[in-house]
Amino acid sequence: MVTDPGSRVVEPYVETDNSVEARKAVSDGFIGIHNVTSNRFWQFAALFGIMFVLGIVGFVMRLGAGFDDKGAWGYYIAVFAFLMTTSSAAPMVAIAPRIANSHWRRPISRAAEIWALAGCLNLLLYIPLIWLLPSLENGRRSLWFYGQQEGVPAYSPHIWATLAILGLILLGLALVWLSSLPDFAVLRDHGEGWRKKWAGRLALGWRGTSAQWNWQYHRMGVVGAFYFMMLVFVHFFISVEFLMVHVPGWIDSLYPITHAHNALQAGVATMMLTMFFLRQFGGYKEYIGLDQFWGLGKLLLALSLLWFWFWFSSFNVFWYGKKPSEQAVLELLVKGPYLYLFITIFILVFILPWFTMIWNPVRRSVWGPPILAISVLIGTLLDRVRLYVGAWDVAGKSSMMEDMMYMKMSEVPTKIPTPQIADIFVIVGFIGGSILVFMLATRLIPAVNIWEQKEMLLYKAEVQFHRTKVMVMGKSR
Amino acid sequence: MVTAGSNKWGMVVDVDRCTGCQGCVVACQSENNIPINLEEHFNQRRAIQWIRIERYWEGEYPNVKARFIPVMCQHCGNAPCEPVCPVYATYHNNEGMNVQVYNRCIGTRFCANGCPYHVRFFNFWEPEWPESLKNQLNPDVTVRSRGIMEKCSFCVQRIQRSTRESERDNEVLEDGDRGLNPACVNACATNALIFGNFNDPDSKVSQIKEDAMKEGGRGYRLMENMGTDTNVVYLKKVDQSVEVTHGH
Amino acid sequence: MQEHEQLSHKQINEDLLKDVLTVPKWWLPAVAFLGLVVVTGLCAFFYMVYHGLGVTGLNRPVMWGFFIANFVFWIGISHAGIMISAILRLTQAEWRRPITRAAEVMTVFSLIAALHTPLMHVGRPWRVLYWIFPYDFSRGIWPNVRSPFVWDPSAVGTYLIASSLFVFICLIPDLAILRDRAKKPIVKKIYAQLALGFLGTPRQWKLQIIAGILLSALVLPVFVSVHSIVSWDFAVLIGVEGWHSTIFAPYFIIGAIHSGVSAVAMLMALSVWLYGLDKYIKPDHFDAIARLLIIVATTWFFFFFLEWVYALYTLDSPDIALRELQALQWPYGPLFAIFVITSFVIPVPLWLFKRVRRSAVLMFWTTILVNIGMWLERFLIVIPGLVRRTHMTFDWGTYHPSIIEILIVVETFAFVCLGMLLFAKVLPLIPLFDIKEGMVNRRLIKVGRRVVPATIREGLPHHYYEKKH
Repeated sequence: MVTDPGSRVVEPYVETDNSVEARKAVSDGFIGIHNVTSNRFWQFAALFGIMFVLGIVGFVMRLGAGFDDKGAWGYYIAVFAFLMTTSSAAPMVAIAPRIANSHWRRPISRAAEIWALAGCLNLLLYIPLIWLLPSLENGRRSLWFYGQQEGVPAYSPHIWATLAILGLILLGLALVWLSSLPDFAVLRDHGEGWRKKWAGRLALGWRGTSAQWNWQYHRMGVVGAFYFMMLVFVHFFISVEFLMVHVPGWIDSLYPITHAHNALQAGVATMMLTMFFLRQFGGYKEYIGLDQFWGLGKLLLALSLLWFWFWFSSFNVFWYGKKPSEQAVLELLVKGPYLYLFITIFILVFILPWFTMIWNPVRRSVWGPPILAISVLIGTLLDRVRLYVGAWDVAGKSSMMEDMMYMKMSEVPTKIPTPQIADIFVIVGFIGGSILVFMLATRLIPAVNIWEQKEMLLYKAEVQFHRTKVMVMGKSR
Repeated sequence: MVTAGSNKWGMVVDVDRCTGCQGCVVACQSENNIPINLEEHFNQRRAIQWIRIERYWEGEYPNVKARFIPVMCQHCGNAPCEPVCPVYATYHNNEGMNVQVYNRCIGTRFCANGCPYHVRFFNFWEPEWPESLKNQLNPDVTVRSRGIMEKCSFCVQRIQRSTRESERDNEVLEDGDRGLNPACVNACATNALIFGNFNDPDSKVSQIKEDAMKEGGRGYRLMENMGTDTNVVYLKKVDQSVEVTHGH
Repeated sequence: MQEHEQLSHKQINEDLLKDVLTVPKWWLPAVAFLGLVVVTGLCAFFYMVYHGLGVTGLNRPVMWGFFIANFVFWIGISHAGIMISAILRLTQAEWRRPITRAAEVMTVFSLIAALHTPLMHVGRPWRVLYWIFPYDFSRGIWPNVRSPFVWDPSAVGTYLIASSLFVFICLIPDLAILRDRAKKPIVKKIYAQLALGFLGTPRQWKLQIIAGILLSALVLPVFVSVHSIVSWDFAVLIGVEGWHSTIFAPYFIIGAIHSGVSAVAMLMALSVWLYGLDKYIKPDHFDAIARLLIIVATTWFFFFFLEWVYALYTLDSPDIALRELQALQWPYGPLFAIFVITSFVIPVPLWLFKRVRRSAVLMFWTTILVNIGMWLERFLIVIPGLVRRTHMTFDWGTYHPSIIEILIVVETFAFVCLGMLLFAKVLPLIPLFDIKEGMVNRRLIKVGRRVVPATIREGLPHHYYEKKH
């Protein structure tokens, strides 16, 4: 007679390996990797440093052209938006799975948060844009829709955009710091050299008491939630004030969501690539496994399908609407000069990731997800170029004010403004610059989370189940 | 000259000439077998008027002026009602008209919501005529049962009959022929409504349109910003005494 | 899941099959009452078919009224089943186990409830096959595939078929248990037919699990497409200012999830009260669903905010007039206030408190509020959207639902309740095998002084066991 497995009503505890030795092994392993700065690191850093210098040169060249010609700044704004959709969105890959309590996030979350530091560069990039942000004079439509009315200052977009971006950066810094606190303490106690000194200063006397852990845990949750809300708000903001207001007739209520969603997708892609480099060159091969790529791959799969859905939802309504104002917007962004660019983006951002990742062996591999991440990132960059260069090209045209009144473009540009040497420098330079910031930050802050990895020891065990071995995972909430 | 197949029917409405007499409404009512609109139908807001006179008041008492705009189906070249019909009850024919096939209609009323001009009418009730009026029904026009949509057809039965008969008799059908014109155009006492073929450059409507749609001309279309590309051209009111005000 | 009772399989069988194999006292009166309401609604429907749509309150310009608002509401409710079942199944959330079946069954019945409203609201219901049947043999005309109304029946039909299959696949192991336990031979025979010879062999289990996972993955795009298409019934029209908005598809989806998940929370409370299933549905389950609801509701509110911002951003006079009508004028103003308060302002701040989240009573009432609000949301999209004052003064009017419309709307609610009750009479409302699986997989881990629940992760690939990290 077969025994009924369900007759078991007593509940024994599963043994986890949470001994001091096991925890020490994790810490020592990480500190060992963290303390080494390889030659290859400096080679990469030098490369990105040179790129960054080029970017600054390009920026100075751009400045020389002045702020009057709005069309000339399209590529600059495109790269700003691209960095907002990648480096500023990457921390979401730490925040969202942490809220959902997914264990696979543990090696990813720190690197994702460090990208928030690269957000400081976005703030610098934003400063010249303040002069380019259109004010509410002359009946220009804006998110602050009653701009023409008294009581609303004409420069309200400037105030709100600055506050939002500044808020996002500050929240990002707070998030990195909060999440690194326990690791700083470990470095303070067990590290060496200048890292020990700096970690000691930043750890603020962390001792790892229950009260401190509770405090850290709850603050991290709150800051994470606010980071997400602020991110959505910033994307809402830049999609309206930097993009839609410049194209008369582009009234697309879904667009801010699409923009924020692009950011999540590009953020996941950024993290895939980051994980790949940390694994191959950063020495974390033992800690970053298939799990991480698998988890990220599933996210990217879902987000790629959502990309199509968001795009189609907007497109379908405009297509059926057939209003001249809407047709002009489609003509500008999809059917007209940007058609081939759009097709490329469609393939890179939706077709390629979706139709390959749907196949489990691609998702669950080390090589598959990073390759598709490159595809998504290139697609996103091109998408930013398509939208921002297109919109700012329209903004540069002189017949703007009258078009704004009737909310319809009187003339749709027929070709894409060619990028000048300054634009190419800016694109290459600032992307290189933010990677450089990320790389330098990993010298101080461990690129893979030590305490979350140790926490994992508490929740994971392998047990015998009938004739097979199975993995048991605990969920604290 | 009018020959079958190559036409694009359209209308010109001179708002300046319209006196709001409702003659066109009555003519349409009797030509097209439209059920009699009783007081209760107006109270229920279910009255059917394929052509209607929209009346607007302008100015302050005592200088009040009534403004009239006759509104019928605009026979949009780019009709919002057409793509949304699931059963092809409304479609665009090759003479530029937006036509309604009553037999196909199942009455989803999607088209009625889609029409920005509100010229599509739903038969909420079975139409009824007093015994004495039954013999007066036009045999060329279907009597619509309840549950289907109907709307101005530019009196398609008159167009069909006159073009068919002129071809049969080898006669030339002149522009503005009374057999060709819709009932409302024939009934209009002030010639505010003019019907014709926009594909014929010599027709009266084409010439008026060409003249009126020039820069500074009187011509306009209803709700042009919708991009519906209508086949009805309106001519503005000529009025110096009242300042033109935008909005409503 | 801290509160959890480890029960034997025998105990589970007894608890969950109790109401299937016996008749509770309240059951007959409840079914009789709901049946009466349904029959009244059907009478109203036939009266309407006989006399025409004149008996409703519809008029010009309000061509769509209560029926369509109700249709969108029920489509929305139907989204919960798949939301809970498929997404939580794919993400292996443990707390889904006692909830899935009820949610899926609610999907099926609310879809049927949704389907009867648009079909009966057409002018000539007897000709409806021309519309929904792909090919009309008698006339030789294909349906107009450009019309969202043609996408609608195909999407809803696919969804209905997929979710019924989903329910059935998940029922097979439970049907086998019922087959073994039924007393009357005829009943036994019916269950045996339905169980498809399920004996619980490893191969059968494997197939059943694969089918469940596949259906969950495949039904998700359908679930998204259904409500997107319903939203495009409105959004493609340029004639109605308030509807022509690109956000409609995601806005409808997220609203559907908001109302649907709330309805599931209601169902959970009801099954605790009516069937005494408090051994299976614990405060922790309410807690989990309330956390989910906080996120869903906040996202929904953001979408709602965006829809409004963009309507005002156009600065078009009809758009602004419509928003004034919706939010400020009688009678829509007060309804709007009720809608915002009940669907967001009261429930979401309340759910932030743990005590509320863990109380079945409070969750029941807050989620009822959400659904009142969400019904009004659909009402406020459909009716003021059409009542708005356009440039065409000829068509200015209002709308009052007639008694016939109200009866039919009430009928849909009674129909879904009746359906659920009848289902619960013949089949278990909580999946037995899923609960048992959860109990078998369950382990406990001690972290410091705390005991943390843990589960065996299923379907993990081999690399999990190759090295420790």
